[in-house]
Formats: sequence, structure tokens, C-alpha cells
Amino acid sequence: MCERKDNKGSSRRDFLRMAAQGAGGMALVMVGGGHSLVSANAVSEGGSDRRGPMEYDPSKHRYLYVIDVDKCIGCGSCVRACERENQVPRHFFRTWIERYQVSRTGEVYVDSPNGGHDGFAPSETGADISKAFFVPKLCNHCDNTPCVQLCPVGASFVSPDGVVLVDDKRCIGCSYCVQGCPYGSRFIHPETHTASKCTLCYHRLVRGESTACVQNCPTGARQLGDSRSLGDKVAEIVATSKVHVLKPELHTEPKCFYVNSSREVR
Amino acid sequence: MEHTKHIWRAAFLLIAVLTFVIVGRHFLVPKSFGEAGYYRYDALFEHMDKEPRHGAPDACADCHDDIAAAKAGGKHAPVKCEVCHDVLASHVKDGEKVADMRINRSWELCAYCHQRLVGRPALVAQVDIREHLELSAGQAIPAEACVQCHDKDAIHHP
Repeated sequence: MCERKDNKGSSRRDFLRMAAQGAGGMALVMVGGGHSLVSANAVSEGGSDRRGPMEYDPSKHRYLYVIDVDKCIGCGSCVRACERENQVPRHFFRTWIERYQVSRTGEVYVDSPNGGHDGFAPSETGADISKAFFVPKLCNHCDNTPCVQLCPVGASFVSPDGVVLVDDKRCIGCSYCVQGCPYGSRFIHPETHTASKCTLCYHRLVRGESTACVQNCPTGARQLGDSRSLGDKVAEIVATSKVHVLKPELHTEPKCFYVNSSREVR
Repeated sequence: MEHTKHIWRAAFLLIAVLTFVIVGRHFLVPKSFGEAGYYRYDALFEHMDKEPRHGAPDACADCHDDIAAAKAGGKHAPVKCEVCHDVLASHVKDGEKVADMRINRSWELCAYCHQRLVGRPALVAQVDIREHLELSAGQAIPAEACVQCHDKDAIHHP
């Protein structure tokens, strides 16, 4: 109890300190903002700046994600893989599976018990179900992303290769982005009290590996592609198939594309 | 020039504000902020530095080539080892075994894919587990019900 109190006190202090820093920093960045914008373009286009452990040039990649609803069996392997890869806290999800059941009269039943982490039990809707399917969801890594626009301290950003990431050292945990994400992809981490979300397994991508969810999908319902890689099969699916994005009316320009989806999916 | 004093005052104020802004900005704006956009560029590299926990798709075959070969010819070939076992990082570190690989023998693991469900595509074999075990209404499913008949070899090479 006592310890908890301490934690709370220190986190509030941290919050105030960071808020002051953030607000002050932001105002000052705005004042001297011209300089940062110029250098921003120089780096992201040239891609010559190399730091980090491996030779990886973000400007040479542009990731996209394809989900084939007809192939998803709702096993939850992706949810469990994501949890283990990224140490996602219990009952929070960076990716999850929704079960859609549509009755002949048009009622739509959607459930996602524990995000599909523990699989799905036989349905108990009692309705005359005429179609049903599983829909995996995750951060859509929007090109025109509301969460990044909302962040008051520049903690959310889009990487040069198109991945939406959170700088958890900078995040003040205000949760504007959590409220602003139309897809519900973000949450406040219960321990760090900062925003957390799908990173598209960025630490794996830079090592040339696929995301944990894609690698562990037993049916290939989830696929990761790179539109800047020549002859990429997944980019070819997006280019040649009838794909659908979630909430297109919001013009968020998601980079997750759904194949064989249905109009009930939002 | 009776207003000289006022001009000097204004100039001094301007210099003071500018100095405050420049010095303040230096301390308040984190290093690498704005280098590649309106964010701290170093955060990108912090994300890169995280260690993967799942191994590469064929990493298990480095040591367990016999099981990998048997599995490659079976129906479970598209299912990666780590789906049913644990992540590689819990078993191997820097090429050395650090702990036994955990084995999940529960019927729930099998049910994740093989429980018959409305809406589950016929890509995988499906049974109603209670019906398959011929259980009566109140009976609970035994913890390791599936592996009692479908043993290790039958699972790796069904």
C-alpha cells in the first residue's frame, strides 16, 4: 500500500515535470521550428543517417499488411504470439480477433472474448446465423494518422518506413491518442502509464524477419509486404485484388488491407 | 535624441527574450528531436534495439532437424513450432540452451484450432470436442484429453 502511494506520487511528479518540459519544449520548437522541418526532409529522403545496431535503411522500405478473412480460423495464435514477443500485459491487446456472426434477419453479433487470446467457444447467440467469420485486427499504421496528429508532445510518430510508433520516454500518458484512434488500437500500459500499441514488430523488421503475428499464423491469413521491394507478393495482392480498408470514410489511409471481408466489418 | 533610452530598452528586451528562447530550447528539446520529423529520432533506434523473442522461422531445425523433417511432411507443417511451444528466447540464448522448452499438453491448445465453430473455415480438421470424447452433460473435459490418443509423433506428423 505504502509502496503504491510512493509510486503514484513519483509518477505524478514525473508527469508534471514532463508536461512542463513538453509544453515548454513544444512552444520553443514552434518558435525555432523552421530549422527542424528543413532537416527532417533532408534525413528522411537521403536516409544516410545510420545509427543502431544493424545496417538498415528505413527509406528503402514501406510496409503493408494484408488480412484474408476467409483464411482466419480464429485460433488466436497471433494474439498469443504478439503477447509473448512484445510482453503485452494481460487483458490488453496490440492485435486481437473479432468474431462476426450475422443472422438471416440482419442482426450482427460481434464478440472477442479476451481478444481471442484463449480461442473461441462455440457460439451461443441462439439466432439463425447465416454467415460468420473471424476478423483479425491491429493498428492500421495509417498514412494520415489521427493519433500522431493528436499527440501534444511529439511522442507518437510515423517512421520513415511507414510504421506508427510511440516514444515511451516522451509520452506523458495523456491518452488523447487512445481516444483519437478510430480503430481502438492503442491503450495505456498499466505499468509504464504510457501509450502502447502495435509496433509492427519493428525490432524484427529491421533484422529482416516478419512480425510475430504473421510468422505464427498457421493458415497464412495474415501477410506482411513491402511496397518498396520489387516483385513483393503481398504488395501485388494489394495492387491486383479487390481489397478493403476499415473505415475508409475517415480518410486515414490505412496500410492494413482486408481481402474477402464483409460490409459488417468496421 | 531624447528617445535613445527607449530604443536601447526595447533592444535589450529583444536580446533577453531571444537568449531565453535559445538557451531554454537547448535544455528543453531532447537531443535528436526534429531530426527526421516532429519526434525524437533516437526513439526509432530504441525500437530497433529491442531483442526479438521468437526465433527465425527455421531456427528450431538447427538442433531438432529430425522433428523438423518429420513435421515438414505432415499436416502440421504450416504451424510453426512456437505456436504450440514457447518462444525460442525462453529456451536458447546466444546459441546455448538455457531452459527446457515448455510443452503445452492441454486440450485447450488443440481446441484453439480444432474445436468446431460456426464461421470457422474448413481449412483445418474440426470436431466438437465434447462430442468427440463422448462426454455426458456434467462431465468436464480431462486436462490432457487430446494427447492421450494423439501422441507426440501423431501431432508432429499427422
